[in-house]
Amino acid sequence: MTPKSNGIWVILLSFLVAYLLAIVPFPDWAMHYRPQWVMLVLIYWVMALPYRVGIGSAWMAGIFTDILEGSMLGIHAFTFAVLAYITLNLHQRVRLFSSWQQSGIILALVGLVMTGTYWIKVMTGETAQGSMLFLLGALSSAFVWPWLFLLLRQLRRGFDVH
Amino acid sequence: MSLEYRLLAFLALALSLMYADSRYEYLDRVRFSVAYLTTPVYWLADIPTRISFWIDDVFVSQRDLIEENTQLRQQLLFAQRELQLLAGLASENSRLRELQEASQAVQGRVMTAEIINVSNDPGSRRVLINRGAHDGVVDGHALLDAHGLMGQVVEVLPFTSWVLLITDSRHGTPVQVNRNGERTIARGSRGDAPGLELEFVPDTADIVVGDLLVSSGLGQRFPKDYPVAEVTSVVHDPGQPFALIRARPLAQMDRTRHVMLVVPDDEAIVGPPMMFDADTVVVPELPAAAITEEVVSEPVISPPAAPGVIE
Repeated sequence: MTPKSNGIWVILLSFLVAYLLAIVPFPDWAMHYRPQWVMLVLIYWVMALPYRVGIGSAWMAGIFTDILEGSMLGIHAFTFAVLAYITLNLHQRVRLFSSWQQSGIILALVGLVMTGTYWIKVMTGETAQGSMLFLLGALSSAFVWPWLFLLLRQLRRGFDVH
Repeated sequence: MSLEYRLLAFLALALSLMYADSRYEYLDRVRFSVAYLTTPVYWLADIPTRISFWIDDVFVSQRDLIEENTQLRQQLLFAQRELQLLAGLASENSRLRELQEASQAVQGRVMTAEIINVSNDPGSRRVLINRGAHDGVVDGHALLDAHGLMGQVVEVLPFTSWVLLITDSRHGTPVQVNRNGERTIARGSRGDAPGLELEFVPDTADIVVGDLLVSSGLGQRFPKDYPVAEVTSVVHDPGQPFALIRARPLAQMDRTRHVMLVVPDDEAIVGPPMMFDADTVVVPELPAAAITEEVVSEPVISPPAAPGVIE
């Protein structure tokens, strides 16, 4: 196995599960509380393996999100690329943070990306201007991050993805 | 430094994709082909729901089944009685139309479908149904449930399609008040609660709470006379140029799973043969000729109604 492709299926599988969790139907009242699973998994892999998962992978993940949601092609590709860029710049510091500090960073990052996506969607007429309640999704993302982090780290170490 | 260049390159790529997707048609084909990849994801995501339905089906006591069965029989009986009335009305209607030399109302055929997913974007109200291009779905087909109009197909994928609900704030449904034929447009409300708002209705319009709104068929998208919504509030604000009228959609947008697609008749002929499978239900064709005969012969059987009246 070449070092480049080692454990690629772990990464792909984690993304697949994230996509599934992202589209599993929620009741109407819980819509806003849905954590941004794809973004979280992306942030984790960018932080853990910055030399393998970067802006390009984030862009691909964004395109797949666009196709899955049926939104305009490129919206999530754009914002995920920015997300990967910011994470790449921060990853060395964030790795040293305690888990609640990391949650704070996640809150800011996911909130920023969600707002950006919302702005682009409103600008292109994809969605109507509404309340900013969707930012609750950033809050729930920050809340699940410590557990997701532990789980993914366990997976990464267990399958020796590097 | 190279990181910034990479970012700029990918951002430019994303922007050009967005531009191309909004301006040109050819990316729709890309989207259509890539949907072969995304359909399995939706299929997987639907498994929990299917399992819960399956559990409901399997672990049910015989008594519940019998109870449900009697209830359904009763409902069927009521529905059939209404259908009988409807048959009479339909024949009367068609004769009146003939008198006025108006064209026949389009009946349309019905294809059953299931909602397998809901858009996870809170800003848009769309659902995914398990019928696609392979079943003969075309852009603009209307979606109904047992209670009323739900929406229209906006994006057809190979085995699934996205349906824009009438409660989406970018969707307008041409409706008319069933009571007096007042025509207006029902737009999805912009707030968080799913509902409809009637736009640009003058203060003097005769619309009251409880009025039934039916599709007027004016946009040539929706079949005529399907129930759409019920008026829930009418506010005449002197400071506003128009009346503020809200309505509640009759279709059970967030509860139902089983829905129907209405296929216009002329398309049904050219459509692929897949549409004629067992799941396809043809709207019961009313035996117009037989009923007309019956109605015509009625005065002969029961003449006592005539004397004593105006004549």
